[in-house]
Amino acid sequence: MRLIKQQVERDGSGTVTLYPEEPEDMWHAYNLIRVGDTLRASAVRRIVSESSTGSTSSSRVHMNLTITVDKVDFDSQAGQLHINGRISEENKFVKIGAHHTLDLELNRNFTVGKAEWDSVSLGVVREACDPAEKAEIGAVVLHEGLANVCLITEHMTVLRQRIDVSIPRKRTGSITAFEKSMEKFYETIYQSILRHLPISNLKVILLASPGFLAESLQKYIFAEAVKTDNKTVMGAKPKFVTVHCSTGHVHALNEVLKSPAVIARLADTKYAKETKAMESFFKMMQTDEDRAWYGPKEVERAIEKGAVSTLLVSNSLFRSNNMQERRRYVRMVEDVKTSGAGEVMILSSIHESGVRLDGLGGVAAILLFPLQDLDESDEEQDEAEEGNEDNENL
Amino acid sequence: MSRHKIIRTMNLADELDDFDGEDDYYEEEEEGMSSADKARMADGLRRVREVIGSDVPSLTDEKIEETLWYYYFDVERSITYLLNQVGASEKKKQKKVAAPEPKVREHFMTLSSASSKNIPPGFWDDTPFGSVPLARQGEFLPPPPLAGFRMGGLLGGMQSGKTSKLAALAKARNKAKAEKAADAISPAAAGTAVSLLDRLSKKKPDPPPPARETPPSTAPIVPNISKLEQLVEKAIPDSPKNEPIQNTPSIPGPEPDALLKAAPSGFAKSMFGKRLDEAFEFKDEFTNAQLIYFSIAPTQNAAIKAKKAFDVPSPDDVVIAAQSQSKGISKASKGEKSGSSATTSIQKGVEALKVGDTSEKPTPTKIPRNKIDVVAEYEKSKSKRKENANLVVIGHVDAGKSTLMGRLLYDSGVVDERTIQKYKQEAEKIGKSSFALAWVLDQTGEERARGVTIDIAVNAFETERGRFTILDAPGHRDFIPNMIAGAAQADFAVLVIDSSPGEFEAGFNVRGQTKEHALLVRSMGVQRIIVAVNKLDLMHWDQERFDEIKQQMSQFLTTAGFQPKNVSFVPCSGLTGDNIVRKPADGLISWYSGPTLVEELETAKPVIKAVEKPLRMTIADVYRGGVINPVTISGRIEVGNVQIGDTIVAIPGDEKATVKGIEVDNQTADWAVAGNNVQLHLANIEMEYLKIGDVVCQAEKPLVPLKEFEAKILAFEGLTPMMIDIHRGRLNASGRITKLVATLDKGNGSVTKKKPRHIGPGSLAVVNIAVTGAPLPLEKGSKIVLRADGLTVAAGVVE
Repeated sequence: MRLIKQQVERDGSGTVTLYPEEPEDMWHAYNLIRVGDTLRASAVRRIVSESSTGSTSSSRVHMNLTITVDKVDFDSQAGQLHINGRISEENKFVKIGAHHTLDLELNRNFTVGKAEWDSVSLGVVREACDPAEKAEIGAVVLHEGLANVCLITEHMTVLRQRIDVSIPRKRTGSITAFEKSMEKFYETIYQSILRHLPISNLKVILLASPGFLAESLQKYIFAEAVKTDNKTVMGAKPKFVTVHCSTGHVHALNEVLKSPAVIARLADTKYAKETKAMESFFKMMQTDEDRAWYGPKEVERAIEKGAVSTLLVSNSLFRSNNMQERRRYVRMVEDVKTSGAGEVMILSSIHESGVRLDGLGGVAAILLFPLQDLDESDEEQDEAEEGNEDNENL
Repeated sequence: MSRHKIIRTMNLADELDDFDGEDDYYEEEEEGMSSADKARMADGLRRVREVIGSDVPSLTDEKIEETLWYYYFDVERSITYLLNQVGASEKKKQKKVAAPEPKVREHFMTLSSASSKNIPPGFWDDTPFGSVPLARQGEFLPPPPLAGFRMGGLLGGMQSGKTSKLAALAKARNKAKAEKAADAISPAAAGTAVSLLDRLSKKKPDPPPPARETPPSTAPIVPNISKLEQLVEKAIPDSPKNEPIQNTPSIPGPEPDALLKAAPSGFAKSMFGKRLDEAFEFKDEFTNAQLIYFSIAPTQNAAIKAKKAFDVPSPDDVVIAAQSQSKGISKASKGEKSGSSATTSIQKGVEALKVGDTSEKPTPTKIPRNKIDVVAEYEKSKSKRKENANLVVIGHVDAGKSTLMGRLLYDSGVVDERTIQKYKQEAEKIGKSSFALAWVLDQTGEERARGVTIDIAVNAFETERGRFTILDAPGHRDFIPNMIAGAAQADFAVLVIDSSPGEFEAGFNVRGQTKEHALLVRSMGVQRIIVAVNKLDLMHWDQERFDEIKQQMSQFLTTAGFQPKNVSFVPCSGLTGDNIVRKPADGLISWYSGPTLVEELETAKPVIKAVEKPLRMTIADVYRGGVINPVTISGRIEVGNVQIGDTIVAIPGDEKATVKGIEVDNQTADWAVAGNNVQLHLANIEMEYLKIGDVVCQAEKPLVPLKEFEAKILAFEGLTPMMIDIHRGRLNASGRITKLVATLDKGNGSVTKKKPRHIGPGSLAVVNIAVTGAPLPLEKGSKIVLRADGLTVAAGVVE
């Protein structure tokens, strides 16, 4: 993404014009555009004109439209962003208040106007326009009968294909059915890799599985590449890395990305850092329970006490349509930053580490020193609430 | 240098010389036998003679040498083989006296056996049907005409000296048919004959092309040797060195004067003895003997008969029906193992044909339901039948689980000697000789190459007092999902422990699978556990070691929730087989006088199951059960019962299917109840609708799949809201703990803390779980196992 123009006033209101270059930029735009913002982008609209005789003619008109956003819809598979809204600036074709859905396109400017540009929003813009080299990796996690072909970019994990087949089990006297379907399973994965992963652009392709499946798959891939004389795959041979993991479900990526083989190659990437941060949080939870807290209330209290060393926030929280809630999290982030003692990590909610964090309520903190009973007072409150519920149930 | 140049500079004469040289070399290798081998041969011969004695007429030195070479100087096995041979030929003689046959045929029989004597035993064993290696193929040439004689050339793939099972079978069938024919020749019988014939010929990998029987004649019969036999004879000289032929020997030119006619093999003879004349009428079609040498193209007449064959229930159906009607027969046929047993069962089956004609033939669309009161039947049969028990074999990786089970199957006669020998040789080839027994269960290439069980193997065996289905679970921690699948099908567990120094400790430490497996089976409802302290032979049957393990294990198992009375310890060795099926040699384990492993298994009491509830069964496997049963599922019935004709539905799908056939432990049955490991043959459904891990339910009372549920769990590791794998039998899905509802007191189950933010290891808790993908077939009371990052983090019950 390129920053074309930034006009933010003293009071925080203003507009930013951006130029998206790659599909991932849509993800940034998704994190930037909130309900209530104004958005100006190019659009094609069908205009129906009625002549004096009453006959109608319709034509497609290319124009720039400004809308007030009602709904933001992101399709991570296709990398498309659809923004629903009402026209806020009239032109000669459309009236104010008419509905329109803008589909942001690559290589076309769009301008976002906000009443309040907070630090997190500006952070998103900064991050999106960071020209640092992007490291994309492909990953296939599999177990017998299930494979997930994923593409991991700096800010997104996109599940490109999920392969779920039924593999007959070995039975006494007959293993041919098993072996045949395993062969077919590998074949499907291989085809999916060719179709869905841009092999030549990827830094590394991880094959992860419990047991020996990944190795067998790797062997199959190269054998097949030789057979079909696929130069791309053969040339990318050193990129294929097999990693051990315990299951073939997508969340095994957590395990994969923290394995030493992967860390060695991808240590400086954002997602590796995110994975590592989550990992250290969970480790802290096991070893020193009082130094790892999660949940908004608890973390808020810890911040008040200035105890936070690492604040982990999922960016899903900032996408909240509730302005108050959003402000609350922004304040938490800013508090930690200004305190100087802590580090803030905003995790992408579509990385596996972000999914894990979302499971904890989207916000977690590793503390500098142990704090106890951060959750105590609200427990009473909850009990009171639950008491009410019980009464209602009765 | 380019290829062109090679060709240009090549001296053709040289090349040819080279070729000849190679040929010579080859010949030498064929016939040569090292002096060491000769010495061993002489020694072996002497030793065999010592045991067998020299007065057995049918045992020539030559034959013994041949056998010795075949077993490569394994005197013991050679003797066993030879004795069997002698026994068999004597038996055959008796048989001949009992059932005299036309003289000519008898003559043929002896001729054929004489002429094929030189084919080593087992020569055809490894030859796949339809793709006989070039080396073993012969060219069939028409025999020269013999005046006044129609003669069928014949190839005998048969071993000399004994009739094959197949031949015996066919003979028996003929006999039975003859008996029947005396009463009345029903069309069904004719049909039976044809279709059965088809089946028979399919089963045997090496059916020789059948020959036309010659009519009895007084004319002298000239010994005839088919080309193939000649070839074989030539390729395998009479030396004891009877290795399989590697090269195609040159085909000899037509021999001018030898009157070549093949004698029918025992197989062909019995197959086409009498019936051939009725079934195939090509009396006048072949007048020229040269043309008849192998022709079994069914004539029109036969084709019609074959067509008719399908109008009536196939003989298999009939036999099966008859067997299921009279339990006695099925038992009898099952008990026997020798070749003749097959004969009797078929014979009985054919007899039952008259009785059991009422049985319906299953049609794909509508399967009549007999409305058996399964619960009542089950109660009735309880006393009669041996109780069936499913046991899972668990333990740390390389504890010897598969070897122990291989030994058990071998010693209890499920696996035959030959298979084991074959495995031994193959295992030795890749330098893993000690894995031979494990190969009985580890059948995939991957498992064998790596020496690790990957997936559960299901086998059944029977003792005098009980029937057992064993599920051999993988020990490696990567394959615990498979182990869970196995444990979910088990009534009780055999925990195998490697007693060698350091190994027990490795399995028993925090990350070892001994503990994890024991906890898993317990949390899946297994109450009885037998601890097999394995590999004690390596410890010289040290009592101290046994006691040490016993003490540590019982302590652990008690904390894991096993009652002391349900835990027993058996010292044993899977590799040597001591104290598994047979008692150990006298004095080997002086300090142990308890039961062997199998005896211990027999004492295990089956768990009472909910037979009368609606059916629930998790699908463990979906496969094509053959031509007749295109869709077959297997698994263990958890609750309820099923019978032929029932309509079932596999949740979370909603596609209905009809049960067409049921097999309990590889035997057909009309019904099955909770606890049985069954195979269900289904109709009216495609394989795509059934997935491993689905739950089969009675169509009227299906369960409702859940997207979110509450579970009461026992945590093995620390828990927070996190991503987990949900396991239930074969079902393996991804999910998320969304909320920690409360921790509970272990004693009375009362809530100790609401909304804990962290559940510590070992505590009891209630959590909410959301499923990531499609809803899961779970219901209240379903036992689940939660895993994360390769560890079992919790086990629990759906609330």
